[in-house]
Amino acid sequence: MNPVRRQQAVAAWVLALPFMALFLVFTAGPVLASLGMSFTDLRSTDIRTPFAVEFVGLDNYTQLLADPVFRKVTVNTLFYLLLGVPLTMAVALTVAVALNHLQRAKGFFRVGFYLPVVTSIVAVSVVWKFLLRDEGGLVNTVIAWFGVDGPGWLDSTTTALPSLVVMSVWRNFGTLMVIFLAALQTVPRELLEAAESDGASAWSRFRHVTLPLLRPTLLFGAVITSIGYLQFFEEAFVMTKGGPLNSTRSVTFFTFDQWGFGNYSLGAAAAYLLFLAIVLLTWLQFRLLRDKD
Amino acid sequence: MRSRRTASVLATLTAASLVLTACGRDDAGAGSEAQSEEIGSGAAEGTIEVWAMGTEGEALQDFSAAFEEANPDATVEVTAVPWESAHDKISGAIASGETPDVSLIGTTWMGEFAEAGGLMPTPENLVDEADFYPGPWASTEVGGTSYGVPWYVETRVLYYRKDLAEKVGWDQAPQTWDELKTFAQDLEDKAGVEYGINLPPGQTGSWQTMMPFAWSNGASLTNEDGTEYTIDSPEMAEALEFYKTFFDEGLSPTRLLDAGELESGFAKDTFGSFISGPWHIGLIEEQGLTEEQFAVAPLPGPDGAPGNSFVGGGDLAVFQDAENPEAAWKYVKWLTEAETQQAWYEEVNGLPAVPAAWQSGDLAEDEQLQVFGQQLESASAPPAVPTWEQVAASIDGLVEQVTKGDLAPEEAVTQMQSEASSIGTGL
Repeated sequence: MNPVRRQQAVAAWVLALPFMALFLVFTAGPVLASLGMSFTDLRSTDIRTPFAVEFVGLDNYTQLLADPVFRKVTVNTLFYLLLGVPLTMAVALTVAVALNHLQRAKGFFRVGFYLPVVTSIVAVSVVWKFLLRDEGGLVNTVIAWFGVDGPGWLDSTTTALPSLVVMSVWRNFGTLMVIFLAALQTVPRELLEAAESDGASAWSRFRHVTLPLLRPTLLFGAVITSIGYLQFFEEAFVMTKGGPLNSTRSVTFFTFDQWGFGNYSLGAAAAYLLFLAIVLLTWLQFRLLRDKD
Repeated sequence: MRSRRTASVLATLTAASLVLTACGRDDAGAGSEAQSEEIGSGAAEGTIEVWAMGTEGEALQDFSAAFEEANPDATVEVTAVPWESAHDKISGAIASGETPDVSLIGTTWMGEFAEAGGLMPTPENLVDEADFYPGPWASTEVGGTSYGVPWYVETRVLYYRKDLAEKVGWDQAPQTWDELKTFAQDLEDKAGVEYGINLPPGQTGSWQTMMPFAWSNGASLTNEDGTEYTIDSPEMAEALEFYKTFFDEGLSPTRLLDAGELESGFAKDTFGSFISGPWHIGLIEEQGLTEEQFAVAPLPGPDGAPGNSFVGGGDLAVFQDAENPEAAWKYVKWLTEAETQQAWYEEVNGLPAVPAAWQSGDLAEDEQLQVFGQQLESASAPPAVPTWEQVAASIDGLVEQVTKGDLAPEEAVTQMQSEASSIGTGL
C-alpha cells in the first residue's frame, strides 16, 4: 500500500472511531449480549450475578414453541399481518390514486390523511376505545340508525382483533399514501397517453402500465408495513390489554410480558424468533416482488 | 471478506458460550439466610439515604425532622421516586450495587429483590412480629427469612349503596355468601340498579378480587413454607364456581370497565356494589356521594364467619449494599412505631400496618376506616416469591376463561396448579 493511501486509511479509521466505539458499546454489544442471554436461564433475580447462570442451549426456544400462549400470539400476529398489510396497502394506493387525480384541495386531503400518523398513538387508541364502546360508542350509535345492534367491538374474541387492525390501517396508511403519491407522479404521462390512444381502459392502464412501474415502491411499502404489523403492540396494550382471552395479544406483547415477569432469557429468545420471522418475510417479499429481468 | 466476518462472529459466539458454560448457578438464594445480627440500641448516626414513591416520597423528608431531632447525629435524605419507574430503578441499583440505605418496596416486589440478593435480612429483635397484622408481615418473608418491615397497608372491602340497600330492606351488609348473592339480586331487581355488584371478569389484577373468596373458603396458594403451590383444591374450585355465578346470573358485567366508569356508574345507580381498597372512598366522594349514600363493610365469609381479603401496600427494606445499615434499621424501626404510624396517617392517609396505631385518634373514630382495620385482621398477602407476577397473570387468564364460560371451575383450578408449578416459585 502506498503511503498516501495508508494515511488516508488511518485518517478514515480515526474519523470513524467515535461512531464505531458508540456502535459497539451501545448497539452491537447489547444485541449480541441478548442473543447470548437467550441461550441461558437468566432471570431478574440474577441481576447481581449475571454470569452465574446456566447455559441451557436451545431450551428457551423449544419451551416457547411448546407454549400454547406463544402459539396463540403467533397466530394472532399472523392475523395482524395478513389482514393489516394488504388492507393498509390497498387503502393507501386507492387514496393515492384518487389524490393524484384530484385537481383542487389536494394539500388539504394529504394533510388530513397523514395526520393520524403523527398523532400520539396512545391518545388515538384511547379515543378509538371510546368510539368502539358497546353502549354509547359512536360506531354502534351510527349503525343503530340502520337498525343494527352492534356488539362491544373490543369485548368479543371475534371482533377485537379485526377492530384493532381497522384502527391501525386508519393510523398507518398515511405514510404509504405519501410514498405512493410520489411514485405515481414519476409514471410517465406519455406511456399512459400511448396506452389510452391504443384503446386501453382506465383499469387496464392502471393494471398494465402504472402498477408495474410502481413495483419497487410497492415492495418497499410491503416490507416496511409487514415489519410494523409483525411488531404490533401499542394499540393492543392501550385498548384491550391483550384480551379478551388473549385474542389480541401479539408476539411483541408476549415478549414485553416476559420481561415484566423477569424472564429475561425467555423474552430474549422470543424477540429473536420474531427477528428471524421478520428477516424471512422480508427475504420472501424481495424474492416475490423484485424486478424480473 | 464475508467468510471472515462469519468466522469472527462464530468465534465471538463460541467464546461467549464458553464463558457462560464456565460459570454456573449456585443455588443459595433467599431463604437459606439467617436474620441479620441484632443492632445496638444507641441513637442513629450518619446520613441515611431513603427512596420513597408517590405521596410518601413527597411528604417523608419533612416528616423525618422528628427522627432527626431525636437522633441529632443522623441526617435523613429522602429521594422521591415515581411509582412507574421505581421497580426498574431499584432493580438497576441492586444490579450495580449503588443503592440507597432504605427504600419503600411494593409488597409484590419483595420476592424478586430478596432473591436477587439485594435486600438485607431484618435484624433479630428489631421489631416484634406480633405487633403487625399477620398478612402484611407475611409479605416481608421470602423463603422463611424476613427482609423488611411492613410500613403501610391497603386491603379490599365491600362498597355498597347504603341508601338503595336500605330502601329494599338491607339494614346491614351481607354476612354470608348466600346473603351477598341475594343482596346483589335485590339491588338489581328491587332497587333498580343495572348490576348488583361489579367484580372484575378476568385480566390484570382480577385475582385480587377472586382470591379473597378462595381464602375465605379455606383455600391457599402455597403450602406453609411457600415452597409449593397448593392451588388445586376443592375449596378453590368452589370459590371460583361461586365467583362465576355472579357473571352467569347477570349480577356483574362481563366486560372490563374503562377508567372512571366504576365510580361514575356507582353514583348513577349503574352498579350497586363493588369490592375495592381504601382509595375508593375519596374517588366516590368526588362523584358527589356522601356517607349517607354509601357504606363499606368487611367481606363476608361463606358461612357467616368473617371473610378473608387481599392485603397489599408497602414494606420498608434496607439494602445489602447500604452504607449505613445500622442507622437505616433504626430509622425503619422508628417509622413503624405506633405513634409514628398514627402521625404518618394524619400526614398522607397511609393505613398503618401496626394494629396499635388504630386504637386511638382519627383511625379509631372514623367508622369507615374501622372497617378496614377490622378487615386487616383477616387478610392475606400473595406469596412473596419472585415469580408471583407471572403466576398471577396465569390465574387472571384462567379466571377470565371461567367467567366467560369457556372453562369449568374445577378444570381451571387444575390448570392454575399445573401452570403455577411449571413456572415455579423462583426461589
